Amino acid sequence: MPQTDITSLKPLFVVETPPYIHNGVTIHGMMRDTLLALAPAMILALMAHGVAAFRVMALAAGVSVLVEAMCVRIAGQKLRIEDGTALISGLLLAFMLPVQAPWWLVTVGAALSMILGKHVFGGLGANPLCTPLVGWACLSISWPKYMNPSAMVLNTDFLDPLLRLKFFGTQSISPETYKALLMGEQLGGLGSVYIGALLLGGIFLVARRAVRWEIPVAYLLTVYALGFLLWHIDPARYIAPELYLLTGSTVFAAFFLATDHPSSPFSIWGIALFGVLAGAMTVLIRAYGTHLDGAPFAILLANLFTPLLDMIRPVPWGGRK
Amino acid sequence: MASMWQEFSKGLWKEIPPFRVVLGLCPTLAVTKSAENGLGMGVAVIFVLVLSNVLISAVRGIIPKKVRIVCFIAISATLVVAVELLMQAFTYPLYQQLGIFVPLIVVNCIILGRAEAFAAKNPVHLALADGLGMGMGFTIALTLIGSIRELLGTGGIFGHNVMWNGFEPFGIMVEAPGAFLALGTVVALMNFYTAWAARRAGLEVPENASCQGGCSGCATGQR
Repeated sequence: MPQTDITSLKPLFVVETPPYIHNGVTIHGMMRDTLLALAPAMILALMAHGVAAFRVMALAAGVSVLVEAMCVRIAGQKLRIEDGTALISGLLLAFMLPVQAPWWLVTVGAALSMILGKHVFGGLGANPLCTPLVGWACLSISWPKYMNPSAMVLNTDFLDPLLRLKFFGTQSISPETYKALLMGEQLGGLGSVYIGALLLGGIFLVARRAVRWEIPVAYLLTVYALGFLLWHIDPARYIAPELYLLTGSTVFAAFFLATDHPSSPFSIWGIALFGVLAGAMTVLIRAYGTHLDGAPFAILLANLFTPLLDMIRPVPWGGRK
Repeated sequence: MASMWQEFSKGLWKEIPPFRVVLGLCPTLAVTKSAENGLGMGVAVIFVLVLSNVLISAVRGIIPKKVRIVCFIAISATLVVAVELLMQAFTYPLYQQLGIFVPLIVVNCIILGRAEAFAAKNPVHLALADGLGMGMGFTIALTLIGSIRELLGTGGIFGHNVMWNGFEPFGIMVEAPGAFLALGTVVALMNFYTAWAARRAGLEVPENASCQGGCSGCATGQR
C-alpha cells in the first residue's frame, strides 16, 4: 500500500466560519431607513421652529458622533462612525427634548446616552437599554424644570396635552382637536409631537423591514386595549384610549425606541410579552404615576426584562422540545 | 514594625475597600450623598473595625472553629451598639442622617471579612494595623465618593458651595443611580491607572487589573 502524504491532500470543500449567507441588510442601510422615516417629523419641526429645532438636533447628533468616536478610540475598537448609529441615537434624543433646551442640556444628554447607554457596555450591539432613553432619563431626573416643555417653550399658542389631561380633567381635550393633535399642534418633545408624520415614518420602517413589526403592534395594541378597559370602567376618571396614542411620545416610542435591536427580544413570544409589558406600564404610569409621559420609562423598564424574555428560545429545526 | 506598616498600608491602595476589595457596598452606595456623611460613616467603621480586629485576634485561641461566625458577629454587634449610642450622644444630626446604616455596620462585609480572613489568624498588633489601614481606606473611599456626588449633585463639598454661579446641579448624582455611577467611574479609573502603570514599568498587564489574586479577599472565598 503506497504511503500518502497527508499534507498533500487538498480538501474538496473548505468549511469557513459562519455566517455563510448574508441577506444584504446592513446597519448602514437600517440607519438610512430610520433617517428617512424620521425625515417627515424632522421637516415639520424645522418648519415650525426653524433654527431653534435645527440647533437642538444638530448639537445632539454632533455631540453623539464625537463622543462615540472618543469612546471607540479609548476602547481600542474599530471606528465605525459611518454606520450612522450615533447620528440616529443623537437625533432620537433630540426628538424628545423641548425645542428651547439649553445647549448644555443637549450636550450632557447626548454624551451620557453614548457613554452610559452604549459604550460602557461594549459599544455597538451590546447596549442593554435603548441608548437615547438612557440620556433622556438622566436629564429628566436631574433637570425636570428644563425638560418640561410648558416651562421651556413660552412663545407658543399650543398647550401641553399631557399636563392638561393629568391635572385639568379628562374632558379638557375634546375629540374635535384630535386632527390637530395628529398634525403635531401640541406642546411636547421637539419631534415626538408630530404623531401623524412619525406614524408614516414608522409604517415605512416596518415596510422596509428595518424593524420587527410585532414590537410596535404588540405595544400599541396593549396601550389601546388597556386604555379602553380603564376608560370603560370610569370615563370620568380615565382618559379616552385614543389620547394615549395621540399625546405624549407613545407613537414615537413604539416605532423608534422600543424597536432598538440590541435591547428588544428576538423570539415572537418574547416580543409579545415585551410589548404587553411596555404598553401596560405606559398606561399605568400615565393613569396613576407622577410622570406625565409614560412611554420612555415604560420602554426602559421593558428593556430590563429583555434578557429574561430572550430565554424563550425558538426550537431549532429538527430539535426536540 | 515593617510588617505592621505593610499590613496598614495595603488597606490604603493595594486592597482598598470598596474599590479593590469590593466589600461593604451597602454603606458605600447608601450613605454617600454628601462628603460629610461618607466621612462620618467611615469614622464609625474605623472604630468598629479596629476594635473588633483587636478583640477577635486576642481571643482567637479560644473561639471554637464551628461557632466562630457567631462569635465574630457578637463582638462586632457589641461594638456597633457602642458606636450607635456614642453617635446619639455626641453627633446626633449625623446619626439622623445615617439612620439605619449605623446598626447595619454589624453585617458590613468588611468587618466580617477582616475578622475571618485576617484577625482570626494573626497576632494582635498586626490585626490592629490591618483594621486601621482598612478602616482608613474605607473612610477615604467613602469621602471621595461622597465628595464627587455632592460636588456634581449640589455644587458643593462639605456644604460649601464651590461651583461657579449658574451651575445647574446634576440631580441624578445625589439619587440612587449616582452612587453606582460614581463607584463605577472610580473603579474604572483605578483599573486604568494600574494597567497604565504596569505597562509603563514593563510588566505584563493583568487581565483583571483590580485583582492580582492571592489577596486576603480570595482567602475568604476559598475556605
